[in-house]
Amino acid sequence: MTAKELVKKVFFIEILKGMSLTLRRMFSHAVTIQYPTERRHIAPGFRGEHALAKNPEGKAKCVGCGLCATICPSQCIHIFREKGQVTRYEIEVLRCIYCGFCMEVCPYGAVVLTENYEYSDYKKENLYLIKDRLLSNWDKYMGRKKGEVYFRKFWRPMSEDFETPSGQAGFKGKRS
Amino acid sequence: MDIFANIITPQTLDALIKFGINVAIIIIKIAVVLGIGLLHVAYATYFERKVIGHMQVRLGPMRVGPHGLLQPIADGIKLFFKEDIIPAEADKPVFYLAPVIFMAASMINLAVIPFSSNFVIANINVGLLFIFAIAGLGVYGIFISGWASNSKYAFLGGLRSSAQVISYEIAIGLSLVGVMIKAGSLNLTDIVNAQEASRYGMYAIPQIVAFVVFTIAAVAETNRTPFDLPEAESELVAGYFVEYSGFRFALFFLGEYIAMFIMASLAAVCFLGGWTLPWYVTKALPFLTYVPGIVWFLLKVYAFIFFYYWIRATVPRYRYDQLMAIGWKILIPIALANILVTGLVKILV
Repeated sequence: MTAKELVKKVFFIEILKGMSLTLRRMFSHAVTIQYPTERRHIAPGFRGEHALAKNPEGKAKCVGCGLCATICPSQCIHIFREKGQVTRYEIEVLRCIYCGFCMEVCPYGAVVLTENYEYSDYKKENLYLIKDRLLSNWDKYMGRKKGEVYFRKFWRPMSEDFETPSGQAGFKGKRS
Repeated sequence: MDIFANIITPQTLDALIKFGINVAIIIIKIAVVLGIGLLHVAYATYFERKVIGHMQVRLGPMRVGPHGLLQPIADGIKLFFKEDIIPAEADKPVFYLAPVIFMAASMINLAVIPFSSNFVIANINVGLLFIFAIAGLGVYGIFISGWASNSKYAFLGGLRSSAQVISYEIAIGLSLVGVMIKAGSLNLTDIVNAQEASRYGMYAIPQIVAFVVFTIAAVAETNRTPFDLPEAESELVAGYFVEYSGFRFALFFLGEYIAMFIMASLAAVCFLGGWTLPWYVTKALPFLTYVPGIVWFLLKVYAFIFFYYWIRATVPRYRYDQLMAIGWKILIPIALANILVTGLVKILV
């Protein structure tokens, strides 16, 4: 043991260093956010509760192509169609991992994630989002201008900016 | 009255009344010390949670009352109304007895601590020895509870605790021998008075080695981090009191915190000058002499308790063999060397 190590051991240098750190931290500002009274700042484009976008006429933009249900890693989106109409569009929120693939893949920007994160519930049924709830979520959290702005900023489908080469198989449908 | 006059002479009656008054005064003193002491203990838990919280860049309790000030009261009420669970295989009479022994053993020490120049319940001449003796009794509470719970965690916690407390009691006793030599007394009030008269005003300066040994051993003696192996949460759940719940658990909890206060007061009395200030401080700032002595005493005690919390927030737990090695191979030899040097200085100078 060298003299330096001995001095370090005898005077508890390492422990004193640690203690000075904790003392300094004691006078620093606490990072705690006291939730119900204080709320965290939510950045725009936060991925929270799901919604189904409506077009200006107030109809659902979704055409039921099934891309979202296909790409969903936890397979929590279920779409049922009858005669070209979407009859049921359901999301099992308890299985969702909020990856946002569904809204990235959607060619119409129809399924989106809103900024609402406070929708915990005591009943499992209430967390099985059906089409009506998803559509009303749009009015609640993305109503009026906000949805439009967000569509341009965050959910703009790739097909808006990039056309598929004509020789290649791709989405050629009519945009609503 | 005639009948009494035959039995009790006026002199004995007088003596009896005096005795009665003395007893009443002592009882009032005990009530005051216990009441205020328990209040301090309750708020020591709040203080601890706040200090550690802020050191971990959290806030600590904030919900009950302004800044969580009523948290200890809420905790007390909660503990009081909890179900009292007794394990089916427990040794019941002993199980009931253990928390009482532990709590009583730490509370009795409050009797000999001099809080101020003339406020001490029992000003006995062997105060320091008394505290060691009672601290030794407290170990019974710990390992009886570990045994009686009939649970492997509690048993291991009790074993560890008794081994640890017994080994560190030696170090703590030896570290205080230096103080005894310098003060020439075991009476705690005399020790404080001797410190006030001494050159440095407090023994923490000439007896710095003993003070460091005492501080480390005091942390180990009260089973606090980094020497909290008896109740190591990650290994033994809660150690010797795992099986206790409700108010019996509260007794252990209170006992532990009172033991902390006792150790802090012992440090304040034996090393930091108790209720007195060093003469050079009062000379520099004469107006400080108007502050009552209890303020300085409490200030020193709380500084020491803050140190406990500070260490807890900083240092991780030692391994068991390291703990024993520190106690037997380092602290005890250092304390012995300190006694030798102090004795030589006392004889030669």
